[in-house]
Amino acid sequence: MKEMEQRLQKEARALLEQGKVDYIIGFEPGSLKFTTTPLITKDKEDVERLVINPFIVNNLSVFLTELQGRVGIVVKGCDSRSIVSLIQDNKVVREDVVIIGIPCTGLIDLSKVELVTGKDRDELDDIAWQGDKITVRFDGEEKVFPTEEVLFDNCLGCECPTPQEYDILLGEPRPAAPNLTASRKNLEKLDGMSSEERWDFWKNEFSRCIRCYACRNVCPACFCKRCFVEESEPQWVLPVPRWQDNLIFQVIRNIHVAGRCTDCGECERACPVNIPLRSLSKRMYELVDELFQFKAGMDKDAVPLMTHYELEEAEDFIR
Amino acid sequence: MTTSQKIKKTDLGKLLNQWSQEFTVLVPWRENGLATWAKWNGTDTSFIDWYRNTVVPAKAHFLPSQEEMFRFQKDEKGYHIELPDADEHKQLIFGIRPCDARALTIVSPIFEELYEDPYYLAKRNNTLLVGLACTRPCDSCFCTSLGINPAESIDVDLMVTDIGDQFLIEGISEAGKELIAGASEVKEATEADEAKAKEIKEASYQKVTRKVDTDNIKEKLSVCFEDEEHWEKVADNCISCGICTLLCPTCFCFDINDELVKKQGTRFRSWDSCAFSIYTKMPMENPREEKWRRVRQKVCHKFEFHPMSYDIIACVGCGRCIRQCPVNWDITQVLNNLPAKV
Repeated sequence: MKEMEQRLQKEARALLEQGKVDYIIGFEPGSLKFTTTPLITKDKEDVERLVINPFIVNNLSVFLTELQGRVGIVVKGCDSRSIVSLIQDNKVVREDVVIIGIPCTGLIDLSKVELVTGKDRDELDDIAWQGDKITVRFDGEEKVFPTEEVLFDNCLGCECPTPQEYDILLGEPRPAAPNLTASRKNLEKLDGMSSEERWDFWKNEFSRCIRCYACRNVCPACFCKRCFVEESEPQWVLPVPRWQDNLIFQVIRNIHVAGRCTDCGECERACPVNIPLRSLSKRMYELVDELFQFKAGMDKDAVPLMTHYELEEAEDFIR
Repeated sequence: MTTSQKIKKTDLGKLLNQWSQEFTVLVPWRENGLATWAKWNGTDTSFIDWYRNTVVPAKAHFLPSQEEMFRFQKDEKGYHIELPDADEHKQLIFGIRPCDARALTIVSPIFEELYEDPYYLAKRNNTLLVGLACTRPCDSCFCTSLGINPAESIDVDLMVTDIGDQFLIEGISEAGKELIAGASEVKEATEADEAKAKEIKEASYQKVTRKVDTDNIKEKLSVCFEDEEHWEKVADNCISCGICTLLCPTCFCFDINDELVKKQGTRFRSWDSCAFSIYTKMPMENPREEKWRRVRQKVCHKFEFHPMSYDIIACVGCGRCIRQCPVNWDITQVLNNLPAKV
C-alpha cells in the first residue's frame, strides 16, 4: 500500500503541475484513529497528504457534481462504477475526469472490529493487515482475525475490486472473488422472515431514523438538485421522522437509485443510528439484475436503465 | 465530616426500581450496537460497563425528533383546534453525562425567555437528571475546552461517580437530595470514598486530550467572517447532511409541518438543520444557498452569535459532530486554524 501511496502522490502532483486537472480529490488522514477524510485541493503541495489504507471509506465521486473544472479523482472499484453511472446520466463528462484507480482489497468495518474485540475504536492501538489476516493490538495484547470477519459486507461480495474505468491504475488489477454468502448475511436473515416479521423489523429500524439525510447526501446516485422529500406541493412524504414516512422515504430513494446503485455501501455506513440500509439497496441491486440483467456502472456507453425507452417498448404505459 | 452518600453497585437496580414507581426512568441502552436511551427494564445494569455516551443526546427527551403539537379540523364555521392534554409525565434520566447536562442548561433559556415553549418546558420541568461521571472520554471529546470536567456537574440533580464496587452520590439540587432521602441502600460516604472520587475526577479531566482554543473566539470568528475563500476551503468536504446538527445537544432548530387528511389535520414539529439547503425555505429563500455559508453559520452560531446573546458558547465538546460525521469533518480543527489572530 505504501508503494501505491507514493505513486499516487507522484501522479497527482504531475496532473496538477501539468495543468491536466484543476482539482485532485483523494483521501488524507482523518482526525480520529483509523479514519480518513476527503482531501479536495488545487494545491500541488497538498498531494503529500494523500493516503491509501483500509479506511478510505468515502465514495468520492459524490463531489464530482459540485466541482467546476477538470478533476483527478482517487477511486476504488465501486466508486469507479458510480462515476461510470454519472457519465451515463450525463452528470459527469468523461474527458473532465482523470480517474486514478486503486485495485481494492476491501475496507475494514470498524463496527465489526469493535464487535470482535469488545473494544471501542478509539481504544485500539493498531490494526494491521497481512494477507488474509488482520491483527488488532489493544491493551498490550494482539489478536488475529480472518479478514472476512472484519471487512464491510459489501466488500466481501465485491464484483469489481479493480476500477471499471480508469486513466491511471496504481497497481496490478485484482480478480474479483465475491463471497456472496458472507456479503448477504443480513439479507439472508430478512429472506428467512415472514412478511409480517419483516414489516415489524423495518418498523423498528425506521423508528430510529432522524432524517439527517446522510444516506442520501453521501450517495453519488442521489444527484437531484432538489429531492422529492423536500417538495411541499405536492408533499410526497412529510419531513417529520415518523417511522412510516421514514420507510417511504427510503423506499422511494431506493427506487430512484435503482440501476445507479453500485453497492458501495456508503448509505449504511453513514447512517448514525445503524439502520441496515444496505439490506434494501443490495436487494434492489439484485432485483435490477434479475429483472433487467443490468449492473450499474459497468459500461459508460450503455444507455441508463431507468431513463431510457424505445418506441417498440413492450409495455404500452409509457407511450 | 462528609457531604456525600454512596451505594453498592449491586444495589443500583433497587434504587432505579424505587424511582420507577414515580418516574419513567431512562437509562443507557444498546440496540444494534447503537448506544441510546431506553426505559429501565427493571434488571439490566450492564450499561455500567460499556456506556460512554449515547449517539442521540438526551435533548431528544425534551425536544423530540418529532412531536405532535395539536390537531385541527375544518368545517363550514372555520378551524377547530384541539390541544393535547397538559404533559405531566415525570421522567428521570439516569446516566446523563456532564456535557449533555450542560447542554440543557445552555438550551433551556431559548425555550423560556423570549417566548415560553410549553412543549419543551413541560418536559424540562417534569424531569430530574442523575448525572454519571464520565471516566472514559472518547478521542473526539473536548469538553474541558468548554469549561466542563467530564466527571463533575452542577447541571444535574444528583451526581453519581463510579468508585470501584460502589457509586459515590452527591446531591446537587433539593429535588436530587430528596431522590435518595430514606433509600435504605444509600449510606453515608467515608472520607476515603470522597478522596477516591476526587482522584477519579482529576484523572478523567486529564484523559480529555482534544483541545480547542476558545480565547477570543468570538472576535476571531468575527474578523474572518467575510473570508469567503477560507470558508470554502473549510466546507469543501462537507456533504451537507444533518448529522452534526441534529445530534448536537445544543442545536435546537425545528421545522413545523401540517398533515391534512381529508378535513382532519395534525401539526407536527420536528428537528431541522441549518446544514440543509432548504432550511428556512418556507418563510423565504435560504440566504445560505452555498455550502460554505451554511458551514460558516454552524460554526459562528455556536461560537460567535449565541455567545453574543446569551454570554455562553453553544458547544459542550461532546464530540458527536466529529465522531458521527461521515467524512470526519472536525470542528476542533476548524476552530484551531482560523486565519484571524486576535
